Amino acid sequence: MKTVDDRFLAELRGICARPGEVLTEPIELLTYECDGLPHLHQRPAVVVLPSSAEQVQAVVRLCHRHQVPFVARGHGSGLSGGALPIAGGVVIALARLNRVLEVDIPNRRVTVEPGVTNLEITRQVAPHGFYYAPDPSSQQVCSIGGNVAENSGGAHCLKYGFTVHHVLGVEAVLPNGDLVRLDSAIADAPGPDLLGLLIGSEGTLAVVTKVIVKILRRPESVQTLLAAYDSISAAGKAVSDIIAAGIIPAAVEIMDSLSIEAVEAAVHPNFPPADSILIVELDGPTAEVREQFEEVERICRHVGATTVEVAQDEAHRARIWKGRKGAFASMGRVTPNYYVQDGVVPRTKLPEVLARIRDLEARCGLRIGNVFHAGDGNLHPLICYDEKIPGQSDLAAKVGGEILQYCIDAGGSITGEHGVGADKAEYMPRMFSDDDLDVMQLVRRAFDPQGICNPGKVFPTPRLCGEVPGPYHAHPLEQAGLGERF
Amino acid sequence: MIDRRSGPSGPPESPDTPATVADTIDGVVPRAIVEPASGEEVAAVLAEASRTKTTVVVRGGGSKMGWGRPPSSIGVLLSTKRLDRLVAHEHHDLTATVQAGARIDLVNAQLAHHGQWLPIESAFDAATIGGAIATNDSGPLRHRYGTPRDLLIGIRLALPDGRLIKSGGNVVKNVAGYDLGKLISGSFGSLAAIVSATFKLVPLPAASSTMTARFDDVNGMTRALEALGRSQLEPAACDVHVRLGNDVPSRESCRLVLKFESTPKALNAHLEATRALMGGARVEAVDDTARDTIWRPHLRSLWAAPGVMVKAGWLPASLGRVVAFMEEARIEGADVELQGRAVVGSGLLRVDGDLATKLRVIDRMRARTDLFRHVVVLRAGADVKQKVDVWGSLGDAAGVAAAVKRALDEQGILNAGRGPV
Repeated sequence: MKTVDDRFLAELRGICARPGEVLTEPIELLTYECDGLPHLHQRPAVVVLPSSAEQVQAVVRLCHRHQVPFVARGHGSGLSGGALPIAGGVVIALARLNRVLEVDIPNRRVTVEPGVTNLEITRQVAPHGFYYAPDPSSQQVCSIGGNVAENSGGAHCLKYGFTVHHVLGVEAVLPNGDLVRLDSAIADAPGPDLLGLLIGSEGTLAVVTKVIVKILRRPESVQTLLAAYDSISAAGKAVSDIIAAGIIPAAVEIMDSLSIEAVEAAVHPNFPPADSILIVELDGPTAEVREQFEEVERICRHVGATTVEVAQDEAHRARIWKGRKGAFASMGRVTPNYYVQDGVVPRTKLPEVLARIRDLEARCGLRIGNVFHAGDGNLHPLICYDEKIPGQSDLAAKVGGEILQYCIDAGGSITGEHGVGADKAEYMPRMFSDDDLDVMQLVRRAFDPQGICNPGKVFPTPRLCGEVPGPYHAHPLEQAGLGERF
Repeated sequence: MIDRRSGPSGPPESPDTPATVADTIDGVVPRAIVEPASGEEVAAVLAEASRTKTTVVVRGGGSKMGWGRPPSSIGVLLSTKRLDRLVAHEHHDLTATVQAGARIDLVNAQLAHHGQWLPIESAFDAATIGGAIATNDSGPLRHRYGTPRDLLIGIRLALPDGRLIKSGGNVVKNVAGYDLGKLISGSFGSLAAIVSATFKLVPLPAASSTMTARFDDVNGMTRALEALGRSQLEPAACDVHVRLGNDVPSRESCRLVLKFESTPKALNAHLEATRALMGGARVEAVDDTARDTIWRPHLRSLWAAPGVMVKAGWLPASLGRVVAFMEEARIEGADVELQGRAVVGSGLLRVDGDLATKLRVIDRMRARTDLFRHVVVLRAGADVKQKVDVWGSLGDAAGVAAAVKRALDEQGILNAGRGPV
């Protein structure tokens, strides 16, 4: 791989000639040094902001001809350093490819450019009674291109699946600059499922320039309840009993006391005092939801809920979800810094793994909050630390790594929805054998023989000198007082 | 391992276990048959075949071996017959790991002990888990549950270079590493041999009913579909069945077949609400909670009748035009029958008639890019296969698919040119 030079820059300015399309000044590059995982940061040589697929194609062709590495970037909300720039390389920022190209209600399809936000799709189709199902917590800001790269999920993926279940086709630029369409608005393209491979490949196989998604009819009825428990294991037992009763809720979330404390301080959802809170949401046809909801309520009480609060209207439901979805952002109220992990365990292993995390918390001296998608065993431990106290950053990283090991020991995964990115690449050999990883690399090289498309992500490479995995650090824009997290 | 090979290019060693008529694929008799009993043995067979540049075709239940291009020759037929176990059913986690050669119906009979199932359907009793993934074949319940690729959470593969690898895992939510299970879905055994797969499962419904609505014409049917689409009813299957032929009265030509899965009390409410949307159709509803009396016959009936079987996709709102296309084909002498997923926009078109008629209909479907895409001929005789490429164009995906094939199957041994790559 080579790095950007003057000749390259001149050609790049020929492709993207309008003012503000090519950024090289350090102050301009600041925004792009990292994504939502700011402790990993790297200044790129150049950021380019194309406005069309043709420009993206020309930029990638240029990179290919010069063997210069590039990283595609959506809105930078990723939590695994998937959009971390390459030193001397190019960042292709797709924020200006933000057009909704077609809303096809009769066929329940929407075609968008990658810079359109996740929630914008729902906004476009809501007047017709439809919505786009994947709902990552960052859905107000995250881009659909980023969702494709990460195969984003969200609180409702237990019932509705992930991005890969809702994308019908993409247009993408391959690392050699070819513009290809993989699948389409029409189902059943024959052959290997290249689209399914591309979704979740973390920007290492292509740059997506157009996405066709399917939309769903808004469910007739949504019912949400909140149950408070004296122990996290009781909340977990309620989840197991609900699933054993043959009910698949739209969402099942658990928050522990530390995360409750944080959200109460920040967004005031008025949760009842509890060791743990369980949120269960059912949706679907009214008659079915009514019948199943009664059963869910009965189970929640039966396993010892101290309080069961049923959302009486949309405002009440929104308040409950505000508490849940605001959990990460609220951690600042209880800790100067935190590090969020994304491991997954089989649901039946939740009590065992949570007990190990509580033991670890007692041993390591750092508080660990737990907010998780209980239905699918996706943990989001929030490791609290103070970077001003010497050694705590490193300790938080170590604790995060240990929790990932618990997930692997339990037969789970190091990431359920945030992606491997640059952050967890070093943990991949704990989950996969050398042969597993090597075959994945063979596939990668079939797309990208030069290794220029988002290199250094997903697969383990030696870390840079002094680079530590993990914890939250202030984004350069935060440090400069130019922005804040939400 | 039962190894009936004498060598990659030689005849079967044992005269009492030769390849039989049942082993032929498009008239080609494999030179040897191998029935490995473990993933390691599958990998060893492939490694040897790569070393000797011997073509290998993987066979599950053999129910779909006629799909694909005719092979020129087959060195080894690798049967997954002995890889037939349900390896694990983690019923509290709603997951199961199954070997590739396990029959779908037998797996489901075991999963039912815990009130769960893997919602993969097949028109064929012998269909296996591996075959379902390799072809990504599905049935009417695709409407709710998707195709096999949507249910797959982990896979174990044997590569042509002899490596045994995995992708994904045992948990329903997992984005670590490339999803090679997706890549292998629909690859028709052209990239690797599937050894076992892990799926997410669903609970068996507390109650289910099937409603059949018969329409006098396609307009009545499409109006009913539109009304259903505007409603908030959530059927588990929404199938369309259209048969046009000289022996078919028009009153019998168009049907919607809808399945509802729900709680016992709610089910009746769904059925009544649906009945009200069916216009003047003749409607029957059958409780099929305990026994399926409709769907298996529905799936099988199409395959039981003669003719070429063509798979195609269309935009769901174009269904009326799809039926108009069928009308044109019927006028020109074809007996045509469609069974499809109305809301997905995908289905099978059975076309019967003389050779010229069958070829004309296939050509016209491929020419009508305004209406159809991905027109693939699944079942056809040698006369048709000599004249048309069963796969058609892979479009833009062809180049990348070929590069992936070269990367994983350097010697090009897998599937003897039958597959899409």
